Amino acid sequence: MSVRVHIPTPLRPNAGGQAIVEVDANTVGESLARLVEIHPAMGGKLFENGNLRRFVNIYVNDEDIRYLENLETQTKKDDEIAIIPAVAGG
Amino acid sequence: MTEFNFELTETEKDRYSRQMRFNAIGTSGQTHLKNARILLCGCGALGTVLANTLVRAGVGFIRLVDRDFVEVSNLQRQVLFDEDDAMQGVPKSVAGAKKLGQINSLVSVEPVVAHIDRGNILELAKDVHLILDGTDNFEIRYLINDAAIKLGIPWVYGGCIGSHGQFMTILPGDTPCLRCVFEAAPGPGEAGTCDTAGVLGMTINIIASYQATEALKILSGNSDAISRDLVYLDCWENTFRKIKIAKLKGKVDCPCCTHNRFEWLEGEQGAQTTSLCGRNAVQIAHAKPIRLDFEFLSKNLFHLGNVSFTRFLLRFSAEGCDFTVFPDGRAIIKGTDEPDRAMALYARYIGH
Repeated sequence: MSVRVHIPTPLRPNAGGQAIVEVDANTVGESLARLVEIHPAMGGKLFENGNLRRFVNIYVNDEDIRYLENLETQTKKDDEIAIIPAVAGG
Repeated sequence: MTEFNFELTETEKDRYSRQMRFNAIGTSGQTHLKNARILLCGCGALGTVLANTLVRAGVGFIRLVDRDFVEVSNLQRQVLFDEDDAMQGVPKSVAGAKKLGQINSLVSVEPVVAHIDRGNILELAKDVHLILDGTDNFEIRYLINDAAIKLGIPWVYGGCIGSHGQFMTILPGDTPCLRCVFEAAPGPGEAGTCDTAGVLGMTINIIASYQATEALKILSGNSDAISRDLVYLDCWENTFRKIKIAKLKGKVDCPCCTHNRFEWLEGEQGAQTTSLCGRNAVQIAHAKPIRLDFEFLSKNLFHLGNVSFTRFLLRFSAEGCDFTVFPDGRAIIKGTDEPDRAMALYARYIGH
């Protein structure tokens, strides 16, 4: 199933400059794995020792995966996965 | 805390008439605002917009805290300052308070020139109804979060870089807190800062205006109208996301608002400074070591034109100071013996 992964501005240099990457996957974990296959530089930005880095927040259709099923959260066609970083400046 | 209950004068009723005609404010809301006290942390980009808007709106008392001085490069987005302030290098909170006094002499503004840290934040926050975030780094935001949860004071987070920004409102005991949503901040060098990635004045105005609106709701007795989402927007790409975070409350095992462990207030997290006597240098070290990505950091600092790094250290110069940074986040900043300035420079160029 094709889902759209939204890449935040600071991470786009690691994703060939793209704002949205379409991948085929059935869970959030699979989607991010596909993303890293296509853009290996994203790997180190999202994961550390196989786990999501603690400051990387992932949302499916604007719902936080931490109160869903984390990386096991099922995705369906046209779902939107957003990677939202904490924004520090101001 | 002493609660005041001053009535509105005829002058005030006339002055705030357009705001009072807005249904949710009315006489009651405006009276609440007159008796409200807020702590505004930071009088920079977000802070000046917040102060400007809320002083005009008639918030009775604002304590304005900032450690920095006005510079010409602030003027593009920091709306309370002018070229004279920059030329004289006036402290931001002092320059801000003077301008705010000219804008609205009916409200009280208390300027404080200080670096906010775990030694002073409880004192600064103990007699206010709301804390507003006009800071530029997560070190202080987690500290604000600790203090707000401990004291039971609402606060509004805002952050901006480039053309994107985000804000969220924290009501202790009701909404998730900052640490529920962002368990950890990107480490120094992991994300851009406004000094490395730039920022548009418009982004600042939009995010600060949302923060000020949230403040207006809480202070006027309309807390039920607050945003319960994390709002993330980009004014260049015209995107706006409302991230549903309310259900995180109680779902994540939050050290701060679930277990009342205040790691930043207690000094278990965060950075400490040491003045290196006779060397005109300050060392900054983290209570818990972090891991810096030198390659990424050097790209962010590329515009300085003098960055070099090995496996063991990264060096660059900025604003008359020489930085030596180590992979665990420790840094020695040579060219100042003032810990506050060193922390400000660290936040500006390395981040957190």
